[in-house]
Amino acid sequence: MATAFHYSTVSMLVRTLVGDEMKSFYDYHPFVIFLYFFAVIGLTMFYMQPVLLIISFSASIILALFIDQTAFFKTAKWLVPFMFIAALINPLMTHDGELIILYVNHRPITVEAIVFGFAMSIMLLAVIFWFTSFNKLMSSDKFLYLFGKISPAVALLISVTMRLIPRFIHQITVIAHAQKTIGMDATSGSLWQRLRSLMRIISILISWALENAIETADSMKARGYGLKNRTTFHLFKFDRYDGIVTACISVLFLMQVMMSYLNWTHFDYYPTFTAIELNTPTILVVISYTILVCIPIIIEIQEALKWRSLKSTT
Amino acid sequence: MALIKINNLSFHYPQQRIASLDTINLQIEQGEFVVLCGTSGCGKSTLLKQLKRELTPHGEISGDILFNDIPLADLSPRQAASAIGYVLQNPENQIVTDQVWHELAFGLENLGVDSMTIRRRVAEMASFFGIQNWFRKNTMDLSGGQKQLLNLASIMVMQPELLILDEPTSQLDPIAASEFIAILHKLNKELGLTIVLVEHRLEEVYPLADRVIIMDQGRIIANDTPSKAAAALKQLSVHHPMLLGLPTSIRLHHTLGHNDEVPLTIRQGAQWLSQHYEAVDVLPIEVEKQPQEPFVINAEDVWFRYDKNGEDIVRGLQLQVAEGEFLSILGGNGTGKSTSLNLLSGLLKAHRGRIKLFGKALKTYRATELYNGLIALLPQDPTTLLVEKTVALEFQQMTNQTEDIKQVVELLQIEHLLTAHPYDLSGGEQQKVALGKVLLKKPKILLLDEPTKGLDGYSKKILAAILYDLQQHGTTIIMVTHDIEFSAAYCSRCAMFFDGQIVSEAEPVTFYSGNHFYTTAAHRMSRHLFTHTVTMEQIAALCNTQHHVGVHR
Repeated sequence: MATAFHYSTVSMLVRTLVGDEMKSFYDYHPFVIFLYFFAVIGLTMFYMQPVLLIISFSASIILALFIDQTAFFKTAKWLVPFMFIAALINPLMTHDGELIILYVNHRPITVEAIVFGFAMSIMLLAVIFWFTSFNKLMSSDKFLYLFGKISPAVALLISVTMRLIPRFIHQITVIAHAQKTIGMDATSGSLWQRLRSLMRIISILISWALENAIETADSMKARGYGLKNRTTFHLFKFDRYDGIVTACISVLFLMQVMMSYLNWTHFDYYPTFTAIELNTPTILVVISYTILVCIPIIIEIQEALKWRSLKSTT
Repeated sequence: MALIKINNLSFHYPQQRIASLDTINLQIEQGEFVVLCGTSGCGKSTLLKQLKRELTPHGEISGDILFNDIPLADLSPRQAASAIGYVLQNPENQIVTDQVWHELAFGLENLGVDSMTIRRRVAEMASFFGIQNWFRKNTMDLSGGQKQLLNLASIMVMQPELLILDEPTSQLDPIAASEFIAILHKLNKELGLTIVLVEHRLEEVYPLADRVIIMDQGRIIANDTPSKAAAALKQLSVHHPMLLGLPTSIRLHHTLGHNDEVPLTIRQGAQWLSQHYEAVDVLPIEVEKQPQEPFVINAEDVWFRYDKNGEDIVRGLQLQVAEGEFLSILGGNGTGKSTSLNLLSGLLKAHRGRIKLFGKALKTYRATELYNGLIALLPQDPTTLLVEKTVALEFQQMTNQTEDIKQVVELLQIEHLLTAHPYDLSGGEQQKVALGKVLLKKPKILLLDEPTKGLDGYSKKILAAILYDLQQHGTTIIMVTHDIEFSAAYCSRCAMFFDGQIVSEAEPVTFYSGNHFYTTAAHRMSRHLFTHTVTMEQIAALCNTQHHVGVHR
């Protein structure tokens, strides 16, 4: 119920403010994307309140599904079992808590410890999912643009490195193949032989890299690299939508910070669980947190709906 | 006023007695399209580098170069960087950044141009070059042809007055190379851009040029319109190695010993042939020989994909090769040719189908057996095989049989290179050394991946002689190539690769006279007279049997 309510109010709010055209969250200004993930990941790591954890966890999954389903299931396949293991290890290590289920080796296993284990691994998973989405949405050029302002030289260095790494990886395969056909196989033979082949591959790679770097340096020089007053070009524009979403994120984030300061989001697992009361502070915390966390999801849904209506009218 | 004026320019590399450039005098006018050619090591690249101040190597220079009547050295750094654009040979190495749009902006960023201007110039250039569709791509994901176009575009955004290119198409496949040359032609015709181009592959470029400069041993030996330059070269020496690099029509004209106007293009060549010779169909069509058993390689219904969920790259490949054959596999980029070569060499494993080597399944061979006297692969990039400090050490690393080394060195004629560092050699020489290393394993089957890439006409002829020698000694050779002319002249069988399999195969004359588009220049030029001529030599032989038909029939 609550989510539906927020969705419609926010969407109405956004529609009235900016009109009908929208853009996907990926196309927002790098600053907006960074601010969003900064707020959400920060709060997720800080909050241990179960309702808030569940909200963040679900939203992180929904967003990851929006971005890349196959990639999500691929990582989830490995992470979910890990989560269960982590959750079950905690009660074996920690014996605090009042609700005792049984004794193992004369030590108590408590409900609190089990729940805390789960809470902790859900928090970790949520953070991992948020970071995967962050990586997808914050491509290298956006990241460079944001932090390039601090040091343009470092930004260029990173850009050049981003180009070199995949080239290196490719070249290693090419060299390894070539060496294999003349009997230097780094994947078979005795340890000593393998090491020798590997050393040779690396030696060839280094010569290759140096040789090619000369040409790249020539290409840079030929295009005037090293002249004074270099400028930095980028393709990003901070428009009205970016302004509105930045404002939303900032307001909601500040609200969360204030409410945390007022201890409204506090929750204890030990010695036993804090009671969650259904009062105004709790409702306010939950609602505002849900809106904050769901911003990109709302934007994506809006985008999808817009496309559908565009398709059906034409 | 000439755009470039070179007066008595000489250049010595440090500690070398022979001058790399010897009293060069040259003028290049505004808006000219100049093609500079010569065999490897003739000094053409050295001359180009003198024209781009930032790239001029260290050495002893005398004489002067004027750009718009101002000595090159007196230009401001900003002017020098932007007014003279330089495109290098290797498309990969020139790209500096990871994003296409950033690469386009790189030069302008260096010049300190403001963001709004960069935005406009980049947009303009991207539209001119048709880059808009991959403007936001990663530079890693581009094809070789796209990469070289990007390099050209990122020079052009700086609005140079002079564009210098050092063998820009040598690493591209023929289709990408044609597109690249077409863009250069467009830049020259539509924008009046002055272009100086060094090129080995002259078939297409030669007729487009306003002027051809031919260099040899650091000197200019011809400097004239394309037809006059060709005539001058022939007058100099009938056996000049550079003659081998000229377009087919010119070589034919030279071989037949005519003295009228030289035909430069295929069309002119065809017309010229009609004027002088009559149609005949005497060349016997050889009976199509299917390779006979026993096969050294027998691949049946081979399928391969790189990724479990990816598309199949090789789809149902059938290939039988008999002992002593020289087979060339041709076809467009990305059709799976090179992948197939890796499958045959056992580097990649097919997910379906069978490959047999000498009647025994390929996968049952141990790597030590396979790569030690059975099969060898010469990779496209010879430097992937080179590690040592000298060529001699490279060979000694492969075997301790000095007799074998001596034989290989003799076969490849590289005695003079033995003490050199492999990285100091030219591309063709590096390839010979790499081939030598591979041959020391005495393979029965030799696989070659585009061995003629970047070689000039003369080096190709030498390579052909070496391969012929190996073939005579019973080595089976399989070559993947884009080089139609080379395959037509020297192979015993040609196969066309398309959509992951071989779609047609035959010996060269049948193969190329059966194709309409994908065939040699010689065939395209002569097929209206002689139906089965695929090399210049075959045309010449047929023409020589005829009486000379008068110029005006």
